Amino acid sequence: MSPKRRTTLTLPVEALATAELIARARKVNLSVVIAEVIDEGLRARLAAEREGERRVKAWEALCQSHSDLTDEQWMLLDGIILSEPVDEES
Amino acid sequence: MIDPALGPYIFDTSAQSWLQRSTDPAARSWFATYLQRHQMDVSSITVMERVRGYAQLLQQAAPEQRGHIAMKRRFYLDSLRQVWPVDRAVALYAAELAAMLPQPPTPLKRSHRMSESRQDRLFRWRCDILIAATALAAAMPLVHHNPRDFETIRMAIETAPGRFPTLGPLNLVNVLRLAGS
Repeated sequence: MSPKRRTTLTLPVEALATAELIARARKVNLSVVIAEVIDEGLRARLAAEREGERRVKAWEALCQSHSDLTDEQWMLLDGIILSEPVDEES
Repeated sequence: MIDPALGPYIFDTSAQSWLQRSTDPAARSWFATYLQRHQMDVSSITVMERVRGYAQLLQQAAPEQRGHIAMKRRFYLDSLRQVWPVDRAVALYAAELAAMLPQPPTPLKRSHRMSESRQDRLFRWRCDILIAATALAAAMPLVHHNPRDFETIRMAIETAPGRFPTLGPLNLVNVLRLAGS
């Protein structure tokens, strides 16, 4: 268990009332509930940031892997298939 | 510039390719910031167009090149996250749009020697309709690099609101506007 420090927070009234309800229902004090919510929120934020970094790296690898394609090959990947010879007269 | 936090968006096939090919530092930076916050949402139709393209590349490739093409395809499939299906709502909106707009609004694509067939152009147009219908059903803006085709679809929806009574407008974002390119 990490060490604790006393501090003063200013919280939204509705969020505080909900936290007090939860604390009463669970028969724990308010600090326990607030600490759990902060901990979960910070973990979720960190996980989201890591997932974001993974997405950026995967995208950069994808771009790199396709960097040697020609314009005509990119057209195929865009769903454009040039299959008929152009009539020089037209 | 559009704030990357304003997403998520659905990315059309043409927008996805443009972003992949772009060497513009502003566009690359914008999209990296976007990806830190959001997944890249695409329609299953975009996945079909892309994978069909890899299949064409594989057919055309010399034997020694096929491994490289297969690797690109694998990178692409591994990068996919949120792929939106063609469900009942998408099918209904796409059917209405296809009835209103039976023919593609722009001509066949061509290079100096080769041209797209009418059949392939019509197929591509119906893919665009399905992608637009996916964005409508998901109530998400559609990022594209194909303004003439998608603006035609947007205007058709605006001029016939009775055919799409529960839908908002089709919100379009040109990929060039994302980072103010």
